[in-house]
Amino acid sequence: MKTIITAQKLCKNYGKFTAVDHISFAIEEGECFGFLGPNGAGKTSTVRMIHCVSPLTSGTLMVNGMPAHIDNRAIKKMTGVIPQEITLDNDLTVRENLQVFAHFFDIPRAEANKRIAELLKFVELESKRDSKIDQLSTGMKRRLLIARALLNHPQIIIADEPTTGLDPQARHLVWQRLRQLKNQGVTLILTTQYMEEAQQLCDHIVIMHQGRILKAGVPAQLIEDEIGREVTEIRVSIDQDEKLLATLTPLACGHERVGDTMYFYCRDGHALMKKVVELDLPNTVHRPASLEDVFLKLTGRGLIE
Amino acid sequence: MNFSYRIAYVFFRNLMSYKRFVLTTFLASLIQPLFYLITFGIGMGAYIGYFGGKPYLYFLVPGVLITSVMMTASFECMYGTFVKMVHERLYDSLIATPVSAEDAVAGDIAFAAFRGLVSGSLMMIVAIFMGILPVSLVSVLLLVLLMIIVGILFASLAMIVTSFAPNFDFFNYYSELVITPMLFFSGVFFPLDKFPHWMKTLSLFMPLTHAVAISRAIFTGVYTRGLIFNFLVIFILEVIAFLIGVRLMKKRLIK
Repeated sequence: MKTIITAQKLCKNYGKFTAVDHISFAIEEGECFGFLGPNGAGKTSTVRMIHCVSPLTSGTLMVNGMPAHIDNRAIKKMTGVIPQEITLDNDLTVRENLQVFAHFFDIPRAEANKRIAELLKFVELESKRDSKIDQLSTGMKRRLLIARALLNHPQIIIADEPTTGLDPQARHLVWQRLRQLKNQGVTLILTTQYMEEAQQLCDHIVIMHQGRILKAGVPAQLIEDEIGREVTEIRVSIDQDEKLLATLTPLACGHERVGDTMYFYCRDGHALMKKVVELDLPNTVHRPASLEDVFLKLTGRGLIE
Repeated sequence: MNFSYRIAYVFFRNLMSYKRFVLTTFLASLIQPLFYLITFGIGMGAYIGYFGGKPYLYFLVPGVLITSVMMTASFECMYGTFVKMVHERLYDSLIATPVSAEDAVAGDIAFAAFRGLVSGSLMMIVAIFMGILPVSLVSVLLLVLLMIIVGILFASLAMIVTSFAPNFDFFNYYSELVITPMLFFSGVFFPLDKFPHWMKTLSLFMPLTHAVAISRAIFTGVYTRGLIFNFLVIFILEVIAFLIGVRLMKKRLIK
């Protein structure tokens, strides 16, 4: 495996505000790399520097052997960007949107038309080729953004929260397409706040918070290290905590109280569950540990504004 | 500054979207200048009669022509560009491709100048139908060239305004405080020589004054040495406004 993107002590300030604070990471060619974090964690700022639309404040960032820089057209040429916001050209039809972007990438007309036909099929929008943008649903718009990002046969695809605001069907379709691209050897960089999405797609993730990387690793390994395998949520009032902890703590590898719920983290939850059944606690959920638990544990369960 | 041939691609994108509302813009860009021609030209012209040996309309048409270029080019780079930048976030996706911010802004300026040329040319056609003709075919070609140059100038100036406009209302200041005064102080409707000295001096600071002077000279075929000064002012201001406009827009687009 070859490393395609490396960042060292990367920083991004907007005036006095530090959006990205000395982060370092490496992305391998052909993998799916996820930036996870709550709103304002610095994910988008980081990927915007990777695809050269935002200047670095300090640090180094190399993409395919070239330094990332706002005027680096070579990096932009090999990158496809699925933006967070819907930035389609409302004055044009679906097909014209793609034609204009093919132009921007210097793709000759005949080749562009062939590619556009392929891509419309890939994102299942063939029947909408002559529709105006405002006639599309949000899911269709997102799919068109994907098609647009693929026009130039990118080696690197950056998907900035690609499924925000989509219904489950559309979301799964987007995931399938992204996985398909990864299987074709494309390097995929994903930012998301949906842990399920990261678990579905990513080989490596970093969890960001307030501009820093809190943890980096393989999703399953991170869950195992931080949480264990299983989680038991018990909805019980605070005054029973003492009693509960006395009996259950020896059986769990960690616990946390958030609002009305007590979370127990276990590697093997059998013994704990047996006890819970014995105690006859009514509001109990026992489930596999997920990335969401890791995320919430690291970034805190309180609201982040 | 990072310009490339991709300016043409941005121009082409604008042209593609333009074809949808081309007819309505024809109407819009004709109505105001036509209004000037009819009210001032025919209504007031009837009282004024001859003006330097020719009907008043010969005086008015070259001025109104350039005014319509100014208006169209300015408004395209204000409202048109603002919508693309803030409302549709089109620039964001554009600069993620090999198109640079400079290409994108220059492409918009070029397109605004093109639209200015279209309005000016429509005006000229109307004038020709009214029997008010430029002195020769060479004059027509020179006027086309002038309209392009003036279009780029006013598009660039508008781009500077757009680069720090927080919202649409902001453009009112520019059109009320800059565009409208220029319309009345630049010798579009009447010659400036009866103005008091300070007003004449003031008018020299208005780019429209110089553009109208050149336009009128080309239209009537009467060239004077003062035109070199007029042309230099336009040209120098154009280069400066273009570079500043592009730079400030880049600063707004890239954070």
